[in-house]
Amino acid sequence: MTTLRLTAVGKTFGAGATRVEVLRGVDLALAAGDAVAVTGPSGSGKSTLLHIVGALDRPSSGGVEVDGTDPFALPERELARFRNRTVGFVFQDHHLLPQYTVLENVLLPTLAFPPPPAGAEATARRLLERVGLGHRLAHRPAELSGGERQRAAVARALVNGPALLLCDEPTGNLDRTNAMAVTDLLLELEEERGKLLVVVTHSAEVAARFARRLTLVEGRCVEA
Amino acid sequence: MRRSLIHYWRPHLAVVLGAAVTTAVLTGALVVGDSLRGSLEDLTLDRLGRIDWAVVAERPFRQTLAADLAARRAGAHVAPALTLRASATEPASGARASGVALWGVDPDFFSLYPSLEPVDLATRRGAFPAAAVSRALADELGATAGSELVLAFERPSDVPRETLAGRQESSETVEVLRLTVDRVLPDRGAGGFGLAPRQTRARNVFVDLRRLQRAVLARGSPRVNVLLGAGGEGESATAGLEADLDAALRLEDLGLSLRCDGCREGAEVITVQSPRFVIDDVRAAAVARVAAELEAPMQPVLTYLANAISIGGRSVPYSTIAALEPPAASALGPFRSIDGQPAPALAGDEILLNRWAAEDLAAAAGDEATVSYYALGPRDELATRTRRLRVRGVVAMEGLAVDPYLTPEFPGIEGAEDITAWNPPFPVDLSRIRPQDEAYWDEYRATPKAFVGAALGRELWGSRFGSLTSIRLAAPPGEDYWSAKGGPGKEGSGKEGSGKEGSGEGGPGEGASGELGAGEADFRARVEAGLRRRLDPHTAGFAVRALREEGLRAARGATDFAGLFFGLSLFLIVSAALLAGLLFRLGVEHRAPEVGLLRAIGFPAARVRRRFLGEGLLLAVAGAALGLGGAAAYGWALLAGLRSWWLPAIGEPVLFLHLRPATLALGALASVTVVGAAVAGALRRLGRAPIVGLLAGSIGRDGRPPSRRPLWIGLVALAAAAGLTAAALGAEARAAAGLAFGVGASLLTAGVALFAHHGARKPLRANALGRGGAATMAVRNTARNRGRSLLCVTLMASACFVIVVVAANRLHGEIDVADPASGAGGFSLVAETDVPVYRELAAEGAGVAAALGGARAVPFRLLPGEDVSCLNLYQPERPRILGAPPELAGFRFVQTAGERANPWELLAEPLADGAIPAIGDANSVAWILHSGLGQDVVMENERGEPIRLRLVGLLGKSIFQSELVISEAQFERHFPSRTGYSYFLLDPPPANADAVAAALEKELGRLGFDAVATRERLAAYQAVEDTYLSTFQTLGGLGLVLGTLGMGVVLLRNVLERQAELATLSALGFRRHRLRDLVLLENAFLLLAGLTIGAAAGAAATAPHLAASGERLPWPSLALTLAAVFALGMLASTVAVRAVARLPLLASLRAR
Repeated sequence: MTTLRLTAVGKTFGAGATRVEVLRGVDLALAAGDAVAVTGPSGSGKSTLLHIVGALDRPSSGGVEVDGTDPFALPERELARFRNRTVGFVFQDHHLLPQYTVLENVLLPTLAFPPPPAGAEATARRLLERVGLGHRLAHRPAELSGGERQRAAVARALVNGPALLLCDEPTGNLDRTNAMAVTDLLLELEEERGKLLVVVTHSAEVAARFARRLTLVEGRCVEA
Repeated sequence: MRRSLIHYWRPHLAVVLGAAVTTAVLTGALVVGDSLRGSLEDLTLDRLGRIDWAVVAERPFRQTLAADLAARRAGAHVAPALTLRASATEPASGARASGVALWGVDPDFFSLYPSLEPVDLATRRGAFPAAAVSRALADELGATAGSELVLAFERPSDVPRETLAGRQESSETVEVLRLTVDRVLPDRGAGGFGLAPRQTRARNVFVDLRRLQRAVLARGSPRVNVLLGAGGEGESATAGLEADLDAALRLEDLGLSLRCDGCREGAEVITVQSPRFVIDDVRAAAVARVAAELEAPMQPVLTYLANAISIGGRSVPYSTIAALEPPAASALGPFRSIDGQPAPALAGDEILLNRWAAEDLAAAAGDEATVSYYALGPRDELATRTRRLRVRGVVAMEGLAVDPYLTPEFPGIEGAEDITAWNPPFPVDLSRIRPQDEAYWDEYRATPKAFVGAALGRELWGSRFGSLTSIRLAAPPGEDYWSAKGGPGKEGSGKEGSGKEGSGEGGPGEGASGELGAGEADFRARVEAGLRRRLDPHTAGFAVRALREEGLRAARGATDFAGLFFGLSLFLIVSAALLAGLLFRLGVEHRAPEVGLLRAIGFPAARVRRRFLGEGLLLAVAGAALGLGGAAAYGWALLAGLRSWWLPAIGEPVLFLHLRPATLALGALASVTVVGAAVAGALRRLGRAPIVGLLAGSIGRDGRPPSRRPLWIGLVALAAAAGLTAAALGAEARAAAGLAFGVGASLLTAGVALFAHHGARKPLRANALGRGGAATMAVRNTARNRGRSLLCVTLMASACFVIVVVAANRLHGEIDVADPASGAGGFSLVAETDVPVYRELAAEGAGVAAALGGARAVPFRLLPGEDVSCLNLYQPERPRILGAPPELAGFRFVQTAGERANPWELLAEPLADGAIPAIGDANSVAWILHSGLGQDVVMENERGEPIRLRLVGLLGKSIFQSELVISEAQFERHFPSRTGYSYFLLDPPPANADAVAAALEKELGRLGFDAVATRERLAAYQAVEDTYLSTFQTLGGLGLVLGTLGMGVVLLRNVLERQAELATLSALGFRRHRLRDLVLLENAFLLLAGLTIGAAAGAAATAPHLAASGERLPWPSLALTLAAVFALGMLASTVAVRAVARLPLLASLRAR
């Protein structure tokens, strides 16, 4: 069972007079099946915390462990493999590559460490069916609506079956209807998968859908 | 990847075009190199037709050697020819051309050019004998078929002109031949034939061989001086040629003859003589070796003509005196005093008279005799000298004393019925001839009337041409060689069945007796065989030339044109590659979120880089494929330039496009590598960029303080510049040029790096929005994307660097040729003659002296050879050599091997290892001969011996750029056959130079005198350098255009990326025109920074050159050029400014 543990994680930007301390000793422990919403005012460090959890950015202090392993202690290639296999990311901007079809975009993470796992395409198709885009497989991102793009991004994040699904303002660019649909989709998938879901949002309405909510206050994480 | 390539086709197309330009320029430069080589090879092959090789001799040899040689080389075609240097005049117009090659050829020669229509020169169709002339000569003289030509040339002489026997008035040595032009031959083909590779058009005249032989050679068996050969079986047309020639040569070809008349009493004797009158040291040594091998007694003899032998009041006029030692063996004949005792050996002050002379002079032993004789000094100074000698005794008129062969055939004397019929090449007073002298002549001919010791003879009459006139050999004692064959009156010069192959197995030094066949078992045959074995073709003055191989080798060129044009195009190549890299980088930056995503979903950074690198390489390959067509076009354009605007660089429009697949492939590969490197450089930061930043669209170093690396790079580059400057101060010319460029490059790097360091730290002032604030903002904005700004500054700085360096190197103000320290050495005219001059120029006639008007004429000996200046595209292997007189001084030396008040004195100082001191022009030595001070240029002397010319002095931009200069003494030693003076420096006042030249050309037209102002000669050399600099400027200008284009792209991209920023400024109250000003100011700042850095680096790099030449940079014209560059850059920025005007700022603001 996957566990995530953050111990006194701190993060600062800049140096000298321009130094800004965003996170000041965040402690957090989560386990598989947890679905957590992280809220906080702008600049409170929500996204920074998520980037650290997803090994996209290094903490300035403290430690991160996923199943007892510090991903930042891994060599570059293994760290990349960690991001590929253990973490699934959904960004506020979908970051679908315009030159590829929806199916190809979803398949993209399976190509990071060739050869792709057997049945990758079937998994991608199934996921797209699951997020309601079974009829859009051959479409380009430019031909999708905002909500559809974000759902495709969710499918892409899940294609390698990650233990951690991390979403950074996944509804930030969506209207309310689509935002709620995407949030519900994430929660449904979380329930189906039984893995760990962390969603960063500034939307109280989105956060309200989560059973567990955390807030970042002055660089520290507290239960809402 | 395919999807990405298609999706981003627009930016990719730009990259492909950038790569295509890189390929076109880089490969095009290589194509120029190939074209040079290919064109020169074509010229060589056209010039030679089927001719593969040549046998060239210093003196004419028997024509039948051609058939003998052909018989030894199965399938070979050998054509004999007689070639002379001549001057030609077209009498109708008076047009004159010097340096004409006159060829006497037979139909065999033209058959070596299969595509040539048959040429018949033996049949006279006009008023005079028929001639075929090259198109080049016909054009120069304005001659056409039917025109008359008058050719003047020196008649070949067996006897060296600079000996008493060979001396002749120049008017008597010049032969004139009047011809009718029958055919004008195209320059390509037989018309352009010549022994030396050259790209200039050949001035050739071909006449019937027999006609020329009749005109210039003495009666007898026909002779030639060149054999031209083609084909033959075997792996190479020239394989074994030397051995075949060696075997085919007869003794007469080797310059010796045997006379077997024997003495009137006593043993039979062979007399070895030379048609050159004197026997040189090499041949004399060979005879001595053969005599030793055969154990044959030998007696060297030097016979000379005395003007008078006087004792008391009596005098015997015009008598020969033989210098010899008494014979060591009786076989050489009796040599007895009148008392019957053997004649005594003579001391250095003694003389023996024969009985006739003693009686005529009433002389007795102990009397003092005075011998007067002519001595030939330098430059034909004929002086009468006397020597007092004591009469040691009187020899009987018998045996050796009356051997007529003691005196070789004396030109103008031999064959005369009586003394009054003499016509010797020196003044004689025939009124002094008495009846008894005629009686002696009738009975004894030129038999010596007196004898002196051999040492005294050498002292008085020896010369660099030799110290013997004959060598007598007697059969070894106890062996009756003569009993088998031979006898009085037999001239032993023929081969007569005693082929050289009989001696081919024996090497020098081995005894001959065991190797001779039955046919050679007589003394004369053994002597002949021995001499032929001892004398090889080289020592006899024959040279075998593999013309085709040499020509193709020389066609590689003295200058590496591929490297040269690569260098000239380097700025363009770098600009294109950087532009391609920049465009690719912009594309990558545009796709930063994609990179971020790939890395966020687990793609390793290296894999992402490889993916983009793969895209970049594919684009580079596509660009290279596209650019190969451009390479052909670029190469063609450069060659077209070399045939027109840049023609002075190559002299003749002879270069045409040659495309070689291997070169195209190499160029494409190199271009892909270069562009790939630029792409890799563009991707370098991808791996280091934070994923989060990439996702946000940035590949910058967000959050990190500015690096101090630029500062360190700048300091290191400054230190490198200082080090290179120090190294350049003591380096030789070629290295110094490279080091100076290195200094400039280092300073350029330092400037750009320090700009980067400074730009990163430029503080935004509090009054940024106030007066002057826009400028500060603009400066600060340039640091927003430092990489792009640096690229712009680098391109601009490099362009300005090139402009300044080229401007400095083009400086060569008016040369004061009258200044002894100038490249002209104080001489305003340089002249050459087709016929050598043997005396002071002023002595050639009153008209000449008047024309000179007191001007000095310094004569040089000249060995024709290949031009070693930049005017010759071929790689010279046989440099033209000048023999400088000891009085030469002046000129500007840039390097010498030792400190001397007059560095020319270095030529006379012997070198311990036997090398010959030589002086050359620094440019020619460095760039054409690829040598330097203290290094050796190896060549062969006249005897085929390798000689090393050690460069002991280098001249700066002198008139000696086409040749190397050695001392006259060394010249005479190594090239004794090259008699007379054919090269002159004259110092009339520069204002009168043209008039003096015209007058001298008129007076000395018969000698083919051709004078050129030294100013013109220097200008011709300088034109080559200037042309290359123009080429560099032009190509650098194209690079500048590319750089400007790149800058425009960068600015436009900056503006587009900053839409939101500009919108914000607009919202803050900035009006559009202020935003435009801001963009313009940014550009102006980058331009000014680049211009300043480039100009400063250029000025520093050229400072040593300017200091040495005393010139100053032409700042006004440079400032104008730099201003034009600035204006061009500002023009490019208007693209960005227009974009600002069209930006939907409000929409951008809303989007933000």
